[in-house]
Amino acid sequence: MPRPEVMARIPVDDEYFLFRSCVASSKYPGMESSTKDVFEKIGVALRESDDQTCCAGFITFTSVAEVTATMPAVARNLSIPDEAGLNTVTMCNGCYTFLTEFGHFLQNNPAILGKVNEMLKMVGREYTGESQVLHMIDVLPKLQDRIAKQIVRPLKGLRIATHYGCHYLYGFKKDAIDDPFTPTVVEDLLEVAGATPVDYPEARTCCGSGLTQVVIHKEELSLPHMKAKFDSLKEAEVDAIVVVCPYCLTILDRGQAKMVDRGIADYEVPVLYITQLLGLAMGIDPVKLGLGANITSAQKFLDKLERLEKSRSTADAARGGAPKRPEEKTTDDQEAANA
Amino acid sequence: MSKVQTKRLRRELYPKLRELTFGFVSDLEKCMQCGKCVGICPAAAVTTYNSRRMIHDIKSGNLQEVIESEELWSCFFCSACYASCPQDINFPFTVAMLRYASLYAGYGAEYVKKIIPYAQDYYARGLTVLQPEKNPLVLARRKANSGTSGDMGDIREQIGMPRERKVSDEALAEVQFISDVSGMTKLMERMLKTDDAAPKTRQRIEKVETVKTREGKFAGFPEEQENA
Ligand code: SF4
Ligand code: SF4
Repeated sequence: MPRPEVMARIPVDDEYFLFRSCVASSKYPGMESSTKDVFEKIGVALRESDDQTCCAGFITFTSVAEVTATMPAVARNLSIPDEAGLNTVTMCNGCYTFLTEFGHFLQNNPAILGKVNEMLKMVGREYTGESQVLHMIDVLPKLQDRIAKQIVRPLKGLRIATHYGCHYLYGFKKDAIDDPFTPTVVEDLLEVAGATPVDYPEARTCCGSGLTQVVIHKEELSLPHMKAKFDSLKEAEVDAIVVVCPYCLTILDRGQAKMVDRGIADYEVPVLYITQLLGLAMGIDPVKLGLGANITSAQKFLDKLERLEKSRSTADAARGGAPKRPEEKTTDDQEAANA
Repeated sequence: MSKVQTKRLRRELYPKLRELTFGFVSDLEKCMQCGKCVGICPAAAVTTYNSRRMIHDIKSGNLQEVIESEELWSCFFCSACYASCPQDINFPFTVAMLRYASLYAGYGAEYVKKIIPYAQDYYARGLTVLQPEKNPLVLARRKANSGTSGDMGDIREQIGMPRERKVSDEALAEVQFISDVSGMTKLMERMLKTDDAAPKTRQRIEKVETVKTREGKFAGFPEEQENA
């Protein structure tokens, strides 16, 4: 359940600064395009800037870059929305964590803030901390009513699991929008889109990447996690899994393909970003949502949606255009589960 | 900015900025050794990694042992321990800071080296993850799923975006300036030069070969070629 006191703090603006993620831009551009399309539909403007670089979180938490370098880099990036007078929306758990932690740190340590600004001044910038850093799943729940009005293609009958990832909910156990262990904000959004949220035992298990394990230890530590997670997903018979972080998306999407390629497992669970799923329910063309960049194909998921729609409309026609049918479960569910 | 100027700034600013790091070491003395953190830890699920034991070691003065150990490099940074800790100890931050300590003591280069290409991309292009893709599995699947060549430029174009995300030249110059005067560029150069004979971290944990799944035991993966 979203925490009312946190919900109350989240500003609903006409325009936000979109903090782009380099994983999304370079590997899953559909995350970015669907975000823009969805926000356009609900009448909220997003501004971007080519002056925004990577948040530098990855290289900091892998100890390559020192905090002395990336703290000013965070302040530099945040000086852009500061100057524009906009609040910031991040698409990534990592960007959110990094910008927020360092932002809080600077705000609470005026002496260091002064030194960082001393450095920024030399490149003509200043960090004030006025721009509030928000996560995509802070903002979307606040706009839930507007989203509901745009749903023209409800994802009825599709069973969808969630993966919240670690860095947003765990890292901000007191300030995040929902409880770190039993969150439901994304499930609520799934219901708005007409889909059926599905719980599974390993829902809060890390995707296995951590920040570094895939690179540092290769697969020996991360693949077993993924395997446990996907076994649990398979048992829950889901049609897709929805994430709120591009890094989780990368790891889950590529990890299962890797396991399939090596004959270790036979998973085929498409991984979608939350705005890709909402975009689909808003009737946006799947090609435009960038699902083609996924390594694990989303085609079966899209086919099932179409099949369910078709069977509903023929059933409606047979009953003389009756608008609703209470029971949506069809043989399609079994088919997809067996596939 | 001239080379001399940059050098002077590095001398002046860097010592001041070093203070930054010390804000992130959490109050380990509050730890009551309850072990909740270990119960939820993904690293502890696949190895004998143990955050509670590490905290105990640090508190009882065995910091050196932790700094030299490979254990320090097994944390996933997932923060699940922090989320479950009754004392609100942010252990991953402690790990991050201890890793710097380890690097300064001459350990850990074997892990960090693998990340340097990402840092070089950040320095040269302003982005840590770039578009080019080497993994043939990814390219083949992307080609099939998108109906394009599989190249990211083509996929971006297909969905109505510019072929490449660019960071402005001004932004690049600023980021490079920050990196140069804050010591990051130097650190990268130094790490690249560390030869493979540098002291290796000591093994203190073992891999656990079985992970419980709901169906029973999972007995690890066959040895595999790298294609990450
Ligand atoms: S959960 Fe917290 S208090 Fe308990 S052992 Fe771990 S760090 Fe210490
Ligand atoms: S942050 Fe590190 S120590 Fe804490 S639970 Fe995750 S892997 Fe374990």
